[in-house]
Amino acid sequence: MNMKMIKSFAFAAPLVFAALVPAMASAQEFSKELVEKGRYLATASDCVACHTNHADGKPMAGGLPMSSPVGTIMSTNITPSKEFGIGNYTQAQFSDAVRKGVRGDGSNLYPAMPYVSYSVMTDEDIHALYAYFMQGVDPVDEKAPETKLPFPMNIRASIMGWNLLFRPNEVHVDDPSQSAEWNRGKYLAEGAGHCSTCHTPRGAFMQEQKSLNLTGGQVGAWYAPDITNDKVHGIGSWSQQDFVTYLKTGKLENKAQAAGSMAEAISYSFQHLTDGDLNAIVTYVRSVPSANASPASGATRFDNGKAGNDMAAFRGKEYAESLAGNHAGAQIFTANCASCHGYNAQGTRDGYYPSLFHNAATAGDNSINVISAILNGVDRHTDAGHVFMPPFGDQTNAVVQLNNVEVASLSNYLLAQYGNEKLKVTPEDVQVIREGGPKSNIVQLARIGMGAGAAVVVFLLAGLIWYRARRKTLPVPSV
Amino acid sequence: MTRQPKDLNGTLMMSRRGILLGGATLFAGSIAASLCPTLALAAVDAGTQGQFMKLSNLLIQHQLNPAVGARIVDMASGEYKNLAQMLDAIIAIAEKKNAAQVEDFFADIPDGELKDFAHWVISAWYSGCSSEKRNAAVFTYEEALTFRTTSDVVTIPSYGLSGPNLWTRPNVPLSAPMPRF
Amino acid sequence: MVTKNSADVVIVGTGVVGVVIAEQLLDAGHSVLMIEAGPRVTRAEVVENWRNAPLGVKGDTSVAYPSRPWAPHPMGNEKPEDAYLQLSGPDSYAQTFIRYAGGSTWHWAGTSWRLTPEDMRLKSLYGVGRDWAIDYDTLESYYVRTENKLGICGPSDRGLQWPQTGARSAPYPMPALPFSPGETRFTEIAKSLGYNNIPVAQARNSGMPYDGRPACCGNNNCVPVCPVAAKYDAETALHRLEKKGATLLVDSVVYKVETNAQNKIEAVSYYDQHKESHRITGKLFVLACNGLENPKLLLMSKDDRNPNGVANSSDQVGRNMMDHPQLTLTVTTKEPFWSGVGPVVNSGIMETSQGSFRSEHAGAYFRYNNFARNRFVTFAALKKGLVGKALDEEIRRMTACTADVVAAHEVLPDPNNRLTLSDKTDWLGLPKPHIHYDVGEYTRRSAEVYSLPIGKRIAEAMGATDVKISPKFNQSKHIMGGTIMGNEASNSVVDVDCRSHDHENLFIPGGGAMASTACGNSTITMVALAIKSADAIVEQMRGA
Repeated sequence: MNMKMIKSFAFAAPLVFAALVPAMASAQEFSKELVEKGRYLATASDCVACHTNHADGKPMAGGLPMSSPVGTIMSTNITPSKEFGIGNYTQAQFSDAVRKGVRGDGSNLYPAMPYVSYSVMTDEDIHALYAYFMQGVDPVDEKAPETKLPFPMNIRASIMGWNLLFRPNEVHVDDPSQSAEWNRGKYLAEGAGHCSTCHTPRGAFMQEQKSLNLTGGQVGAWYAPDITNDKVHGIGSWSQQDFVTYLKTGKLENKAQAAGSMAEAISYSFQHLTDGDLNAIVTYVRSVPSANASPASGATRFDNGKAGNDMAAFRGKEYAESLAGNHAGAQIFTANCASCHGYNAQGTRDGYYPSLFHNAATAGDNSINVISAILNGVDRHTDAGHVFMPPFGDQTNAVVQLNNVEVASLSNYLLAQYGNEKLKVTPEDVQVIREGGPKSNIVQLARIGMGAGAAVVVFLLAGLIWYRARRKTLPVPSV
Repeated sequence: MTRQPKDLNGTLMMSRRGILLGGATLFAGSIAASLCPTLALAAVDAGTQGQFMKLSNLLIQHQLNPAVGARIVDMASGEYKNLAQMLDAIIAIAEKKNAAQVEDFFADIPDGELKDFAHWVISAWYSGCSSEKRNAAVFTYEEALTFRTTSDVVTIPSYGLSGPNLWTRPNVPLSAPMPRF
Repeated sequence: MVTKNSADVVIVGTGVVGVVIAEQLLDAGHSVLMIEAGPRVTRAEVVENWRNAPLGVKGDTSVAYPSRPWAPHPMGNEKPEDAYLQLSGPDSYAQTFIRYAGGSTWHWAGTSWRLTPEDMRLKSLYGVGRDWAIDYDTLESYYVRTENKLGICGPSDRGLQWPQTGARSAPYPMPALPFSPGETRFTEIAKSLGYNNIPVAQARNSGMPYDGRPACCGNNNCVPVCPVAAKYDAETALHRLEKKGATLLVDSVVYKVETNAQNKIEAVSYYDQHKESHRITGKLFVLACNGLENPKLLLMSKDDRNPNGVANSSDQVGRNMMDHPQLTLTVTTKEPFWSGVGPVVNSGIMETSQGSFRSEHAGAYFRYNNFARNRFVTFAALKKGLVGKALDEEIRRMTACTADVVAAHEVLPDPNNRLTLSDKTDWLGLPKPHIHYDVGEYTRRSAEVYSLPIGKRIAEAMGATDVKISPKFNQSKHIMGGTIMGNEASNSVVDVDCRSHDHENLFIPGGGAMASTACGNSTITMVALAIKSADAIVEQMRGA
């Protein structure tokens, strides 16, 4: 990656810290306290989740492939390596990268980097983050693989237009009518925590639709659900403590558990935050109202379904016959899921393996997370240990490689028996999730020549759906 | 070819060959068992099924899954020509005693056909099978009542017991209460 | 370049030995073609086969693995005259194994006791059996690699590790699994008699995922199949091998190993399920079809240059067939033990396998079987004619208050314990194996003067009200000895790398090479030998 500084861009960005910061990073000496504060903020910002290849990479050295509707984007090396990382960044350059999405060489970052959220971070916190990245992270002198997107996605300049429209450029300011805790929560949730990046649906230009703040959105192979205080569709039925427990452990018994990107957010970020900050985040998020004019009524998405089984239809018969028969979904469930989740889907008595009824994964407003949990499994590190559900896609460690018809059949059984019986899954739906979520035909449209406006849309799409929609996609067909 | 072709959008994965071979090589009993219910479903009328569940609930004071009961009575209808009469006869004995539990009337069932049948019904619910033999018909595995009697301590094999390495527990004495089921 | 007809290395068999070697060769850049006699099935199917089997036959592992006509393996419902294994002799060699992709680790318990240094020097120390051609220190690094490859958990406390006499250069990758109530109680009772019941080292994910497989959640079903793949079995590696470039032929029964004028192996031939023959060539060949199929195949492959069979100039192929003859004490106790919490074998008394007495008789290893007891006691309770509460209480009592204590013995290599080709043939027309077997005085004497007396003392200390002892030795399904290792080509089949003395490009790794059985389960040693072979193969291919 070319880290050469292009002066015109450097000057184009306001140098907020010019007075404070010497020109070259190498001269810096930051206090231990400042570095630690930066480390905490980096944790809150979950930098490591994307900027590390968790399979075999070093922390912050990049190289994590992230699938997007328009191609695969590789995360970058953000260690202080002078040659391959950000070791030569001035604080101003660092600030621009984090808050404005402008790279040290002046080119635009793809909005896979959530700079739209980070833009609310204060100068003081950016300073601490900078101190941490320069002094608290081990430099890794390894080149991260470059992102190679197809034309016209490879023209980064067009993101500038989008930034003009949708990048807030506003540092957080406390709302005096709210408590200090609420303000702290808002700052963390909207900034470092970047909740809205996933949980807020996107508009026509792939911008976050602020009017639908936190009402849920598709994130690659997963669905980040409604986390407003709506009691039916959101998490209005959760207590303050429920929510804090969830952020610490990734799990709320008989309600929900974190998988996909949220599992990573729990593993690398939330569980490491102070109780004070978690409570602040929760206090703020619990104040975010539903987008609906009047609150919905009825069962929440956490208390649908009930225990039961369909085994009398096939027990004692030939497996092959049962798999081909009318109870295929139940048979697939019993053969593949029940060994941990129980033959009535009741989970283990200690609650470690969750029940599949009274579970947001099966009772949500759409079937995305049912399909994705089957195909991709669950992988979450917390203080309580490494929570791991193996995948049932085409991965080398899939316990059984279920095909699309089987996953659809299983999903429909789970939904009908234990969750949201209104939903139906087709093999085509499964294929979409298998490929990492919906693909965009926007590349094609842009190529055909929709003009500059379309190109902008293209980039928005690219970046914003990219975010967190990485890896675990495009399974290699078995040979 | 390195493995059976895997068509991601294909039909449920079990090759025709696999079906044929599975059928050909598994012991004959399970084939019989697998054919039996579909044939028998038509043979056993709702009244007989109802009587069977009534009798089962007299013989066993636990929650019984009617779907499993349907499997058992399907088999019984093929094995016992006078099934309906036997059901009626034993129920009558129980009703005569105003029996609330099996202990109230079981001794009154005459030895021979009726008592043997009563034992068979109990055995079917507890073992989930028609007999101890290799060619037994299987009605249920998971809901066989034998596992209910020990469900507070041991797992039903092949089903998980607890979170990883979290199964350490005290040695439950025989005086501990029987699980409710 | 790998094709369907040729590869650098051709591996016959897809069990743990073949799989471990295949992966190492693929990682070293060689093309690998694996040939499996049996079918490839999903874990889902195996699990459901077992659940669909009647309660009374759930102890028969074969119900989960029906054999295919072209790849027969022992089935529980065979009549002796029709059985795949034709048997003779005072004792029965009625082993079970599976001819399926993934092999018999599908249904192993995962028990992974290392040999001790003494186990490998029986002749020198006790004047019986054979010494190994390698020593424990040579094997140790391969044990470590095996423990990491398979994911073997075990205690970190040196005093609880096995062996005590041999060094251990690296810790187990995972901690030991917790004991069931019965195992805890059994351990206390053993201690009161002066014996240490220690945690089994086992290929099972303990408290954490490992190698992309989930943690054990106490399904208590390691035998006949781990439903969640928390236990290592070779099936879990097959898809990975394919992604690394291996070609895997299934339903393909190798029936001939072909030599060339230099008496190197030139090809193997197999029948497909339509009885059509195919020929596979390669630079190097590995026979990894288990300790019984390997000698059978070698004997079947005799030619003019090798009139006793391939690799058999020593006439030792098929001789020295060994196992761990076991006797089970089924103990009824006054107080509950409660088996069935956690994995099916989780502890053992190993120290009783060692001692100077081995000049006189075999040692024995005692294990407390941790299978849930319902399936063993339910029909017995029902037969008592009980109903209602009395029936519930009797099933519960018998489940809690019965236990199996198993004494597994060593046997000595005896050339008369011999696998030959039967006159009877299988579906493809290939000869069935015939095995003559006598556990021998050495082992019988152990039962008389040593193991059963200890077992009875243990039973008594358990508070037994009744003890039933198996009337004859049962099989442990640990097939060893048929292609025995040694330095002398005149009285052994393979060298220290499990390379055939007779054919420089033929490797026959696994249990068949083991020169002594000791008392502990053989798989870990088989895999250690396989890894040693793989090192030698990589080295040999470099020169090729």
